[in-house]
Amino acid sequence: MKQAVILAAGEGQRLRPFTVTKPKVMLSIAGKPILHYVVESLAQNGIRHIVLIVGYKREQVFDYLGSGERFGVDITYITQERQLGTAHALTLAKGVAESEFLVLPADNLIEADTIAQFVTVNPEAVLVKRVDNPLRYGVVTVDGEVVKAIVEKPRETESNIVNTGIYAFTSEIFNFIEAELDIPEALSNMLAQGRLINAHETQGTWLDVVYPWDILRLNNAVLRQIRASMAGTIEAGVSLKGVVSVGENTLIRSNSYIVGPVVIGDGCDIGPNVCIFPATSIADNVVISPFTEIRNSVISDDVNIGSGSIIQDSVIDKGCVIQGHFTACSNEAEVRVNNEHYQVSVGAMLGEGCNLGNGVVAQPGLILGNYSQVKALKLISGRLPDKGLVY
Amino acid sequence: MGGIVGYMGDKQAQPILLDCLVKLEYRGSDSCGIAVLGNSIDLYKDAVRVRELAKVAPQLSGVVGIGHTRLATHGEPSQINAHPHLDCSGNIAVVHNGVINNFQRLKQQLTAEGHHFVSETDTEVIPHLIEKYYDGNLEEAVEAALRDVDGSYAIIALTVGEPKLVTAKKDSPLIIGIGDRENFIASDVPAILDYTNRVIYLEDGDIGVITKDSMRISRGGTEVNRKQHLISWSVEEAQKAGYEHFMLKEIHEESRVIRDTLVGWVSEDKPAVDLAVMRGGIESMLILACGTSYHAALIGKYIMEELLSIPVRAEFASEFNYYGQTLARTGAIAITQSGETADTLKAMKKLKDVGCQVLAITNVVGSTASRIADQTIYTRAGSEASVAATKSFMAQLMALYWLVMSYSKIDARRLADLIMELRQLPEKVQQVLDNETKILEYAKYVSRYECVFFIGRGINFPVALEGALKLKETSYIHAEGYAAGEMKHGPFALLGSDTPIVAIVAQDNTYEAMLTNIKEIKARGAPVIALAEEGDEAIGELADSIITLPRVDAIFSPVVNVVALQLLAYYTARERGCPIDSPRNLAKSVTVE
Repeated sequence: MKQAVILAAGEGQRLRPFTVTKPKVMLSIAGKPILHYVVESLAQNGIRHIVLIVGYKREQVFDYLGSGERFGVDITYITQERQLGTAHALTLAKGVAESEFLVLPADNLIEADTIAQFVTVNPEAVLVKRVDNPLRYGVVTVDGEVVKAIVEKPRETESNIVNTGIYAFTSEIFNFIEAELDIPEALSNMLAQGRLINAHETQGTWLDVVYPWDILRLNNAVLRQIRASMAGTIEAGVSLKGVVSVGENTLIRSNSYIVGPVVIGDGCDIGPNVCIFPATSIADNVVISPFTEIRNSVISDDVNIGSGSIIQDSVIDKGCVIQGHFTACSNEAEVRVNNEHYQVSVGAMLGEGCNLGNGVVAQPGLILGNYSQVKALKLISGRLPDKGLVY
Repeated sequence: MGGIVGYMGDKQAQPILLDCLVKLEYRGSDSCGIAVLGNSIDLYKDAVRVRELAKVAPQLSGVVGIGHTRLATHGEPSQINAHPHLDCSGNIAVVHNGVINNFQRLKQQLTAEGHHFVSETDTEVIPHLIEKYYDGNLEEAVEAALRDVDGSYAIIALTVGEPKLVTAKKDSPLIIGIGDRENFIASDVPAILDYTNRVIYLEDGDIGVITKDSMRISRGGTEVNRKQHLISWSVEEAQKAGYEHFMLKEIHEESRVIRDTLVGWVSEDKPAVDLAVMRGGIESMLILACGTSYHAALIGKYIMEELLSIPVRAEFASEFNYYGQTLARTGAIAITQSGETADTLKAMKKLKDVGCQVLAITNVVGSTASRIADQTIYTRAGSEASVAATKSFMAQLMALYWLVMSYSKIDARRLADLIMELRQLPEKVQQVLDNETKILEYAKYVSRYECVFFIGRGINFPVALEGALKLKETSYIHAEGYAAGEMKHGPFALLGSDTPIVAIVAQDNTYEAMLTNIKEIKARGAPVIALAEEGDEAIGELADSIITLPRVDAIFSPVVNVVALQLLAYYTARERGCPIDSPRNLAKSVTVE
């Protein structure tokens, strides 16, 4: 198999505010968008022809992947104007599909190992995985290595094998998509007509991102795999423990203490006396001022964090400017997403371009909308809309 | 990075190799070279771009050859360090893209064994290793040589007496192109797409052997089958990366261009160049440029006057060449995207002749401007395909900020604030891009008119000029950029309901005066589209429509404003169905006076 169709058109409403300005597949994990890992995994498995179905905020995907040259792949972009489901997205690729091809979601963390064997299986096939919480996925019942049924988000189930959304198809699949909006429905059609679908189980990494705090889970998974590298300038008295990767033109000032796994991107200015603990990702062009502690967090490009801040289990999106003594401690919190409440252990989640004055305290579970402004010494909690003003 | 190419067929290899190399130049172009196999190996290489080499290269006769275009990693760009490299006998030639990690050790070892090295490159160890293992079979020798090598490579080797090319790859891209009685090897598909669209992608560890009518790939001695792919996309389509036009793609790259400049600069606190004239404390500065670069020069004048407190002249190079009796003798800056703009080059030579130190700001490594100049700042825009310059203008602005801020004598606290603001610019520009559907609406409006004025004051006056230039060159609408205060000295006579005004309203000391100008214009019945900072309420009462832009320090306001105007020009041209990437009568780089 040499071709893959990647589904990257989705918005990811439950991931707001992070998906107001970018598609779900462009969420930053360990300094790179999720989509990066999918494309890289395919390239490593020798799949060089990529058809990318894009839609919501597609320019961000274009800007990042370009022609695919950097990854050694060639990319054909196809736009899905309205997000009508995965099967509809797939039919858009009909004109360019080869006789056999893979289909993958771009909003899942997929590593090269995950699909290493799957790229050689006989279509039609579904890549499945055993998980602890099968009820939020499509549960697959199998007989040996053959799919018996796929049930989307069942109330209860005895199987803990779920559909990863990764498929190997022949062009036959297009005959089974009519009004169906999602691929599992098309597969049920196939099964109903007595067609054979193989189930191939993977032990490799496969994580999906549904809620804002999932970003931390994916970040942890990627950071476990990183290799140490050192391209910036490390001043005297800096302690680096565990696996730490520092990008080009990054300056780590004296007496900073960094415990890996930690990834720091290019052109950052960190310290003096900054502590960074596992598992933290810091992207490019980030400033972290003295006496700040960051733990298990994701900090995106162009962020500026003032001195004496504490940031735990938090996600801070691009371009936030945070003055000194910001507190985002982690604790059990009830977080609301689409009127449903979830009990999670988390710090703060800040959208793009927020401005926080000195001494702001974020209650655990805070979700702050993009471009919000918060005056000094405010205590903020719950969920605040985009362009919110806290005076 | 660098790019490699190989050819074997019925035709003469030299012109084909050179043609393919031109298409690989985006991978590096500080030097290049070719080797053609006849009775012996004929080689020609130099530290010049491919087109330069093509002009001066002697005719090398043969139907088998290899070529290389280089971005220096080990060893400076020079004739000696350019590829192809030869072994001691001159019977084996190799081109290589990648980095050999253990070349120092290999070089010592080979030298001790009596091999003679001439270059500083890591690559040169490969032909010598092949020579060491060569026993009448090039493929086996290459395989043996690569066993000693630690690093990344895509290589092509040829030797006298064996009419074939041997190629291998690890961690660097490599493809084989299958033609009709001819075969190709290249770093990427676009290089050979004019000759064939049948392509095989090699995997790490593969060794390939091609002749004009055969192709074989093996791994560890066993032959493997690699599928042939038919490439259906055109080169241009691939390079547009999803966008309808290069211009829009390049506007969208601006956020990254800014970040790339910053990443190479602010943290390390490195000056853009160590500029002797700047260090010495200069009394005045002259900036020369043409077209869009001239608008960058004008903005540079404002930045320098504010942060360096020296008088600055910004001149059209094309005008300067015909007067300029009061020549600058201390220092001058020449700005040219291509580095080949004839007028700018002529002005640079004129200044050099009187002993003036000239700094070039250009986007093209190794360009003529960089060779004439005493020092060069390379802008980090990447190659620009659209005739209308967008991202290269942004990269020029960033280079000017970098240069001036490195030498500014302003209060350290103000400088720290500016640097913090500067770091936010990629995000601010992204916000403008995210708002493009709004700008598209205004473009639909503008596209209905045949005459548009752009007005600004202070540092945004040049932005008004640039906004007008972008609109006229892409949409063919007559557009004029004006200093807002000058409108009443003539242009008012043109105003009416069919002459929309695009007004740049900056939050600096020009703000009140600008509001007054807009009132005057409104009184003459002209519709006003204002570019204003978010939170500016007064403008809401005055203008007919408003493009809201994120808040930045006034000195950086050109950065966000120009992105909005570039988008306005692009969408207006699209509405009018113009050939946006290559407007009529225009060329990308103007190499005639």
